[in-house]
Amino acid sequence: MRTDSCAEDLLRDLAPQVLGRLVRRHGQFDACEDAVQEALLAAALQWAERGVPDDPRSWLMTVASRRLVDIWRSDSARQRREEYAAALELPDQGQPAGQDDTLRLLFLCCHPALSVPSQLALTLRAVGGLTTAEVARAFLVPEATMAQRISRAKQSVKATGLAFELPPETERADRLRVVLHVLYLVFNEGHTTSSGLAPQRADLTTEAIRLARLLHQLAPAEAEVTGLLALLLLTNARGAARTDADGFLVPLAEQRRNLWNAAEIDEGVALITRTLGTAPIGPYQLQAAIAAVHDEAPSAEETDWPQILALYDVLKRVAPGPVVTLNRAVALAMVDGPRAGLALLGTLDADGRLTNTHRLDAVRGHLLELAGDSVAARMCYLRAVRMTASIPEQRYLALRAANLG
Amino acid sequence: MKYMIMMFGSAATMMETQPREWILEMIEFMHQLDEDLRNAGELVSSDGLADGTQAKTVTFQDGITVVTDGPFAESKESVIGFWIVDVESQARAVEIASRVVAFTHGPIEVRQVMDAPPDL
Repeated sequence: MRTDSCAEDLLRDLAPQVLGRLVRRHGQFDACEDAVQEALLAAALQWAERGVPDDPRSWLMTVASRRLVDIWRSDSARQRREEYAAALELPDQGQPAGQDDTLRLLFLCCHPALSVPSQLALTLRAVGGLTTAEVARAFLVPEATMAQRISRAKQSVKATGLAFELPPETERADRLRVVLHVLYLVFNEGHTTSSGLAPQRADLTTEAIRLARLLHQLAPAEAEVTGLLALLLLTNARGAARTDADGFLVPLAEQRRNLWNAAEIDEGVALITRTLGTAPIGPYQLQAAIAAVHDEAPSAEETDWPQILALYDVLKRVAPGPVVTLNRAVALAMVDGPRAGLALLGTLDADGRLTNTHRLDAVRGHLLELAGDSVAARMCYLRAVRMTASIPEQRYLALRAANLG
Repeated sequence: MKYMIMMFGSAATMMETQPREWILEMIEFMHQLDEDLRNAGELVSSDGLADGTQAKTVTFQDGITVVTDGPFAESKESVIGFWIVDVESQARAVEIASRVVAFTHGPIEVRQVMDAPPDL
């Protein structure tokens, strides 16, 4: 067990750098990743006992390299083994270690050829330096299941022959979008949880913010990266107020704002304020700007809804989609009245993409409640109760319905 | 001995027909039960299932697999949640089930989970 949290932070920061350097020198992502995981475990044990070595990065490199040789020794092909042994002797080709390698690793783990669950699991293990057990716990699955998922993901990296390179300039924007989406999904998994009892899993939200911060350091000029980091901070800031003492979800309008994390809000607001207008606007910057308007309102009543609606109008042009329409309907209802919002929701029935989720009925119930139609509102909440797979949301919706019963 | 304690019915229907106070008590009851089982070292796992109306049923008809919407059993008879407990005796598993039934009034089935050699 890692007891010293300072040493743990250091290990987690060094993990992608060491792995990146190994993969750059030897290829073979899967073997290198195993070797680094074992080096991390060895470090966790030894450093706790004997203290952190003077040059922890070299220590990890040495142990991981040795472990890699062991892995190759157990390989049956003698010739390959000798080639690898020779490769190990090669001096580091003078490239600056660390930073670019970490970025290469992120692009590799978030390669569009991998499935989304693979991208998430690989990113957390290879870039985040989490153990399989920790990743499994975060996703609420047995360790053996997660071990299989990671092993399959590594197999596809191998089978697809994915290169350990920064994507060419022409693909960079698309590839970066996938990386951002993976970090966003990791955060969301921790923040809302698609299933299960716990309304929030702090591990995943913290990890997503840590990785977004890392990416922001590696690519400070990318406005959407800054936008994502700001969005995660501004959303996470409300975490403590999202559930009450009994574990029930509390909607934004009823949250106790003194529980919001002021430091995270300040950081998020500062990030988004200095980024807006410096580069083409994108969906993460816009969502961060919307979150900032909410977070800066002293009370729910004082929320600047016209500004939020204006931001949603831009978001609708930049990244149209049913979820944007859904959220825009709420903003529209707050500016022009619930009936205007309900009319906009009506366009989503024909769209079909949200009709099998609880979200459309949950929002419709809310707007009908605002419009004073409690009978119809209750029916919407009850339909939503049947469709959600989240126990906290099911309970929240059932109580909303019961209040109107 | 491991037992699966299966609860039948529809959580959504329960929540539709019961008042707010009952829903709150039910949530508290389920929390307490899981905590008690965990403290006693008897809980292996427990989960609730999304509403039966969201289920898909796969059957074999005229030589092909057919997927239909909805649960296999009638909606009001489908499984809505389960506990897997590791207990001393069947009597203890039945005792746990009885505690739930006394509260929910819904039927529960207690089934032993079969032992198998580790390589199966």
